[in-house]
Amino acid sequence: MPPPLRVVQPPPVPPQRPVHVEPTEFQTEFVGSRGRLFGLALWTGLLTILTLGFYRFWMKTRLRRWYWSGIRPGGLPLEYTGTGIEKMMGFLVAVVVMAFYIGIVNLVLMFVSFSLLANNFAAYAVSLAGVVPIWFYARYRARRYILSRTRWRGIRFGMEPGAWGYAGRALMHWVITILSLGLLWPRMTFWLEKYRTDRTSFGSVRLVQGGRWQMLYRPFLDVAVPVLGTVILFAYMRFTGDGIDGNLPLFWLLVPLGLWFSIGIVNYSVKATKRLADTKTAGDIGLIAQPRTGTVFRIYSVGYLLTSIAMLVPLVPLTILFGLMQIQRMQAGLGEASDLAHLFDLPRWLLIIVGLVLYFGVFLSWSVLRHVFVTMPLWRHYAQTITVTGVPGLTNVHQRARDTSTEAEGFAEALDLGAAI
Amino acid sequence: MTEVPTTEPLFIPALWLDGETAAVHEVLLILEDDANGILILEGKTERDAWPYADLRIVPDVAGPDQMILSVQGEETARLIVSAHDAGLIRARAANLRRRPPLRQKGKLAAWALAAVGSVALIIFGLVPLMANQLAAFLPPAGEKALGDATLTQIRQALDETGYGELPLCETTDGLAALRTIEARLTANADLPIEITVQVLDHEMVNAFALPGGYIVVFRGLLEKAESPEEVAAVLAHEMGHVSARDPSRIALRSAGSIGVLGLLFGDFAGGAMVLFITNRIIQADYTREAEANADLYAHDLLRRSDLPPSAIATFFERLRAEGNEDDTSILRHFMSHPALGDRIAAARAATPEGQVTVPLLEPAEWKALKYICD
Repeated sequence: MPPPLRVVQPPPVPPQRPVHVEPTEFQTEFVGSRGRLFGLALWTGLLTILTLGFYRFWMKTRLRRWYWSGIRPGGLPLEYTGTGIEKMMGFLVAVVVMAFYIGIVNLVLMFVSFSLLANNFAAYAVSLAGVVPIWFYARYRARRYILSRTRWRGIRFGMEPGAWGYAGRALMHWVITILSLGLLWPRMTFWLEKYRTDRTSFGSVRLVQGGRWQMLYRPFLDVAVPVLGTVILFAYMRFTGDGIDGNLPLFWLLVPLGLWFSIGIVNYSVKATKRLADTKTAGDIGLIAQPRTGTVFRIYSVGYLLTSIAMLVPLVPLTILFGLMQIQRMQAGLGEASDLAHLFDLPRWLLIIVGLVLYFGVFLSWSVLRHVFVTMPLWRHYAQTITVTGVPGLTNVHQRARDTSTEAEGFAEALDLGAAI
Repeated sequence: MTEVPTTEPLFIPALWLDGETAAVHEVLLILEDDANGILILEGKTERDAWPYADLRIVPDVAGPDQMILSVQGEETARLIVSAHDAGLIRARAANLRRRPPLRQKGKLAAWALAAVGSVALIIFGLVPLMANQLAAFLPPAGEKALGDATLTQIRQALDETGYGELPLCETTDGLAALRTIEARLTANADLPIEITVQVLDHEMVNAFALPGGYIVVFRGLLEKAESPEEVAAVLAHEMGHVSARDPSRIALRSAGSIGVLGLLFGDFAGGAMVLFITNRIIQADYTREAEANADLYAHDLLRRSDLPPSAIATFFERLRAEGNEDDTSILRHFMSHPALGDRIAAARAATPEGQVTVPLLEPAEWKALKYICD
């Protein structure tokens, strides 16, 4: 609808106006408090449990709206426009398709493994392998859905169809990575990201992933070297016959190696994100990302520590309740009456309800506090350290048509690819 | 945000996203009380007019300093107003928090029905059908190896020391007595595969069949039994399972159905428990039918072997009379199956009036069987 152009009287007294001068670079701010997020995650999590999981589509929608709107490159928030209903629809479609596939494939694989391998673990492993291509397909579909429901400055992001192509390439890269004993991992990271980015648009402008895969190799060394070190250490201990008991000082080397590896893997994720972001362009628009490994590592370790500690609040009484019921049952079995038994003269249904509340409380506190202590701080750190360059290029950006594919992220949902949000 | 009633137009600074370009327009919103909407003014040009009734607030916004507005009928245009002025808009727009109408209700209902229908069809139709067909094609050697592996797993799991295997009970005299019972039954049974009966040294009052013709009896069951006929009745029941290939069929069925259920409940906190319970219910439905058939098979086999089906009844009655629910796992095991009372009645009804039975074991043999684990 073209805006009607009509000249009206200017205002008598110009009121205070927001100054909005467009610079050539945008810093990004993150707004939003832990308190609001806690409330939102707790309330939607409760509704999800009470509806046996059906509210989860709306829970995800509302949390994403919150996270997206918290990120403001150049002062203007992102907007998430996905809906719960389309997610549920996509999920139902995926269930119809996948139920046949999984039900029958699992059964046939089990039969084959009974007949040939006499082992049900092998069947589950093979059946898992059958799901892997669909898993990659679902990942691409989920990203496409999320991008198509993301806007900034009123302009939609979007992604071209290409999920099967992605699944094929992902499988190929995995095979190459495994054959190279993991040494070509950065090559996979790069090419898969390039496949996704090159099919992404911001409005009318296409994104391009520049750079080369070798640029990810330096950070990858901090993953590869400690792994190599561990392998050599074990090989040495085996070769010299100095077992774990025989050579304790050597065994202690595993501690620094393990620490090096865990920091290295976080560093690889951070640096890969940075280098891949720095080499992305959309017309004249570019990005500079400066996330810090130390900060991300701290958020993970402190965040998960706090989340785990807080999870003890429902976990401890749940364990005690379980233990006491077990003791009481054993004593009843031996025909002994004890004081403990009187403690549980409470009606059985009440104990079951208390147990259920505590049981779901464990999961709920885990998911809610993970948002508060891990996901949100990470989101904030990555947002605050990103700069949008080439801002004048925004004048060339126009709207793109709405992506109406209805499956949303149904396959990802059905396959439990929920990730963080 | 108190608002002074006025007929004078109010001017609010705002940012307008036109939804067509990435440009951000600095605009003034003109709020007049006698008008039915807000005017969006950029410089001296009126760019759009948004009716109050059609204004909607963008929900779940993280930043408390901004209010973001959309308007019905325009999908991408937005107005960003400072929270400072939000009260002025709220006072005029009555439907800010109204949800969009639910579109495509029919389509949603159709897919929901299709999803429920296909899951039900697969779990209760296709999977049992295929499992029954496939079970008949399992090569005996494969089935035997599977049963062997499962038995080892069970023996390891039940071993109290934690790193050995639960011992098998095989005193020479005890085994001889066991083989006598077995021989009487197999002579009259028409089984697809040879059976292997083994006794495990565990206090549990239970017995079960595994793929490949394995029948396992626990010491606890032999201790609770008061006659060899009662042991024979339990064996006959388990042979019914072997005859119907129940262990393999049920393993195949649950492999098919658990994956499908995982799709439904996979992704929410605590979903694993819902998944587990649902699977148990479906499992119980599968097994209830299998148990009833195994009972029928046992009654018939016992009669043809000149043994009284009522031995099942006396055995169950004793367990029930002891009423020690937690000690008798066999009771709980059978609880999830046809009601115990019904099974006792059925066993009595299956015993012909004046049936001539042939004794199974000499007292010495019976004693040897009872102490097979010593």
